[in-house]
Amino acid sequence: MPESPTVRPNANRSPLPVGALLVLAWLLPGLGHVLLGRRLRAVVFAAVILIGFVMGVVLDGELMLPHAGDPLSYLAAFASLGNGALFFIAKYLGLGQGVVTAPGYEFGNTFLLTAGMMNLLLVLDTHDIAVGKKDW
Amino acid sequence: MLDHLTLMVLHALLIAVFFSFLWKQGRGERWIYFLKVFGALVVGAIALGWLMYPFPHR
Repeated sequence: MPESPTVRPNANRSPLPVGALLVLAWLLPGLGHVLLGRRLRAVVFAAVILIGFVMGVVLDGELMLPHAGDPLSYLAAFASLGNGALFFIAKYLGLGQGVVTAPGYEFGNTFLLTAGMMNLLLVLDTHDIAVGKKDW
Repeated sequence: MLDHLTLMVLHALLIAVFFSFLWKQGRGERWIYFLKVFGALVVGAIALGWLMYPFPHR
């Protein structure tokens, strides 16, 4: 039986299918790397994203949602959602509403958006490791 | 409240740590890349701010 074209023979086998691995990597920053045995990198990535996210919330940044008629808000929402479970937990707790008049609003947004984008990059990195495109 | 320079340095620190671990393997290689990215972000932001200084703020 032919092998899947996206999976190389030297792929790093995880206990989960690649799809499930990517979802978990998105939900909890660093979890994908933990499941693939990259513990040091996982700890560093999780710490960086968590610090960025907490700073964003503390600085009164906004976890963006799409607004009709504002195309850029879709990109911002995509980046915000990149934070995975942190996004939903913060929303559930009523955090990340964004205070436009707060001095830290713009900086808070920057921290929140970059934390989300970094987590999305981690999902891609998890994929590359899982299918054997990256062996470290 | 942290001032903007401190926040910018913290942001640059996080970005530099993240990408040095994402893209580089090995301690030495990561340190060099970290210092390059961190330096470029901090010095670049200050240089950009300095260049914008002559322009009036309405």
